Amino acid sequence: MSREVLAREAINHAFKALKKRHLIEEGAHAPAYIALSRPIISQGSEWKEKAENLEMELQQCYKAQSRLSEQLVVEVAESRALKASLQEKEMAIAELEKELNQTRDECSQLKTDLEEKIRALELLMVEHQELKAQLEQMAIKAKNAEAENKMLVDRWMLQKMQDAERLNEANALYEDMIERLKASGLEKLAREQVDGIVRRSEDGAEFFAESTVPSVCSHRINAHEGGCASILFEYNSGKLISGGQDRSVKMWDTASSSNNLFVWDVSSGRIRHTLTGHTDKVCAVDVSKVSSRHVVSAAYDRTIKVWDLQKGYCTNTIIFHSNCNALCFSTDGLTICSGHVDGNLRLWDIRTGKLLSEVAAHSLPITSISLSRNGNVVLTSGRDNVHNLFDVRSLEACGTFKATGNRVASNWSRSCISPDDNYIAAGSADGSICIWSISKADIVSTLKEHTAPVLSCTWSGLGKPLASADKNGIVCTWT
Amino acid sequence: MEAPKFVWEGAIPLQIHLHESQVTTLPPPPPALILAPRIGYLPLLAPLIKPYFSSTLPPGVDTIWFDYNGLPLKWYIPTGVLFDLLCPEPERPWNITVHFRGYPGSVLIPCEGEDSVKWSFINSLKEAAYIMNGNCKNVMNMSQSDQLELWHSVMNGNLEAYQRVSSKLKLATVDDEYASLCLQKSQQSVIETDLPAQAKTGRVPVRLYVLSVSKDFDDLDEIPRVDSWEKISYINRPVEIRKEDKCFTLHDALKILLPELFLDESLMNVKLGGVDLEDAVRNSNEDVTSDKVVEDQGQNACKRPEACRISSSAEIKLIRIQGIEPKLEIPFSWVANNLLNPDYFLHVCVCVKVAQ
Repeated sequence: MSREVLAREAINHAFKALKKRHLIEEGAHAPAYIALSRPIISQGSEWKEKAENLEMELQQCYKAQSRLSEQLVVEVAESRALKASLQEKEMAIAELEKELNQTRDECSQLKTDLEEKIRALELLMVEHQELKAQLEQMAIKAKNAEAENKMLVDRWMLQKMQDAERLNEANALYEDMIERLKASGLEKLAREQVDGIVRRSEDGAEFFAESTVPSVCSHRINAHEGGCASILFEYNSGKLISGGQDRSVKMWDTASSSNNLFVWDVSSGRIRHTLTGHTDKVCAVDVSKVSSRHVVSAAYDRTIKVWDLQKGYCTNTIIFHSNCNALCFSTDGLTICSGHVDGNLRLWDIRTGKLLSEVAAHSLPITSISLSRNGNVVLTSGRDNVHNLFDVRSLEACGTFKATGNRVASNWSRSCISPDDNYIAAGSADGSICIWSISKADIVSTLKEHTAPVLSCTWSGLGKPLASADKNGIVCTWT
Repeated sequence: MEAPKFVWEGAIPLQIHLHESQVTTLPPPPPALILAPRIGYLPLLAPLIKPYFSSTLPPGVDTIWFDYNGLPLKWYIPTGVLFDLLCPEPERPWNITVHFRGYPGSVLIPCEGEDSVKWSFINSLKEAAYIMNGNCKNVMNMSQSDQLELWHSVMNGNLEAYQRVSSKLKLATVDDEYASLCLQKSQQSVIETDLPAQAKTGRVPVRLYVLSVSKDFDDLDEIPRVDSWEKISYINRPVEIRKEDKCFTLHDALKILLPELFLDESLMNVKLGGVDLEDAVRNSNEDVTSDKVVEDQGQNACKRPEACRISSSAEIKLIRIQGIEPKLEIPFSWVANNLLNPDYFLHVCVCVKVAQ
């Protein structure tokens, strides 16, 4: 047990030691130390508390700051947006102001224009009223005028009708007279010559043209140099064709005073046809009255050639021992009358070229043959200074004409019958032209004008004038 | 009053001087007078000290460290232990110097303030739990709030709160039949029946700090100053108390802890550190007879329990636990139950004279 006692003692001892220590260490020093440290501690704790409080405040401040910064960001964004929109608005306002000014100007402009227009309109209205009034007046006038017009037209129509009636009456009377005249004339003629009338009434009555005895020389034309051997009037017109020694054929218009001169130079060939074939000079040419196609020519090579102008060459040649001086187509164009140097008159058929008939017309060469208008009688002139009329069908002499002092000038002197088959004209060597009346069988007149021997005479188909050509180349027209 | 209460309320008066290299004002600031809890740690005093010197400190980052007579003080050793160890003749107030710059990284491990101290404490607690229970599950499974509460109770010296939390840990305590000596007789039986069935053997975690002195001395203040930690050997060895061992005294524990100091010449070759517990026990058994002799001797000589001339080569001059020098005959179980630090370790300071 001593161990336990020892142990207990030891424990007690330990307790005592602890107490002692307590007293020495903390018991002794604690109060002073605590007193000394109180302010520090309290300060420290104060500071701690302050620090904690400040920390909390700081945290709160941070939170608030973050919130505020968020807000700020939002606000800044908003403000930017607002600024932008404000700018836009300002710009819009400026533009609107501009527009407003413009429109104001326009408006004032329009106002002035409007006023002008109104004034103009008023003016126009006034004018319009006046014009209306005038129009009304005019309308009334017009009406009146129309009425008058109508009335006048009616009267004029009435007058015209009356005139027309009178005219009709006059015409009727005239026709009546003509008829009576015609009838009497025809009766007169019928009494005078039976043959001629019958023939004339058969055919060629339409070609009947009164021909007067020419007496006065109306024209004197220097047609050709060296003599004009042949002159001929164009068929039924006043145009005179003359051929001269100067190898030119000239055409003269005698009806009018103008000289339309158509010159053909025979040798140059400007004419439409140049017909070659004769070996000696051609002394007579004639164109068919039926068709201008056929031409017949006689030359001193003792041939008579018949030409077809369309074909352009000689279709027939008649050879006779005696030269032909003069030619003439018959009216039907199938027969040729030819006068020869042996003084015979011969008739040929151009198609066969056969001699149909012959008759001794003159003792000396025949110089001219001309057919009458009606184609029944042919006039022959010879060097024996005799002019004979022969009936074509029977070849009997119908008449003979001669005159003292009338001497046929040359072998080719042409004489002619007047268109009404009443007169014969022939030129003489002393330059005079004798005209015989067939019915009277006597010389009617003698035309003296030419100074040279008259070579050719021709009567216009119209009845007048008569043309004559002499050796000097002077052509005279007689009416 | 109960012994634990004395232990928890124990505080050392400190007179803390600011090192002259840190003084930037004239006149230099007066030393701070701080009462430091014995069971606390020096870095925990930083908030109390700083207000004294904050105005004079040079600008920069503060890393607090202390030194006593030039020796940097290891911050993971409880303040009371440091005082007991380094001041054989207690110096009250204890003059130590505080530094805020120039942390001696070669001597001290880094301390980053209260957290470092807390983790160190928890670590020690785990170690103790492992020694006592064989595993430290109970410490590791402690909830965050419990941990914090425990630590705060330690920081603030709140015994009730500490006891509340630590009882949850169910760390086996050593069966102490002598606990009844402190209590009223009426509670005795209650305590006996309430004590949980103990294991046959209880292991007590012990941290032993041995200050070796070469010269012999008669008075404590003749002990030369400690100027290097090499003079102090730190032995971390649990003491096993066997149930059948009645009256396991402190002396017995010391023999286990420092067998080389209690050896016969024949057992002088026993290894230091890493000694097998059973060996230690055998040794203690073998020495029982001699113990008795010693005890008898000691009984007479226990008037001065410090001087125990066991062997001729070494001599334990001083044993201090929690600032007191208990007799060697004191039951070790009582010591283990009452003089524990909050980390369930028993810190024992011993001064040994070692012959040259």
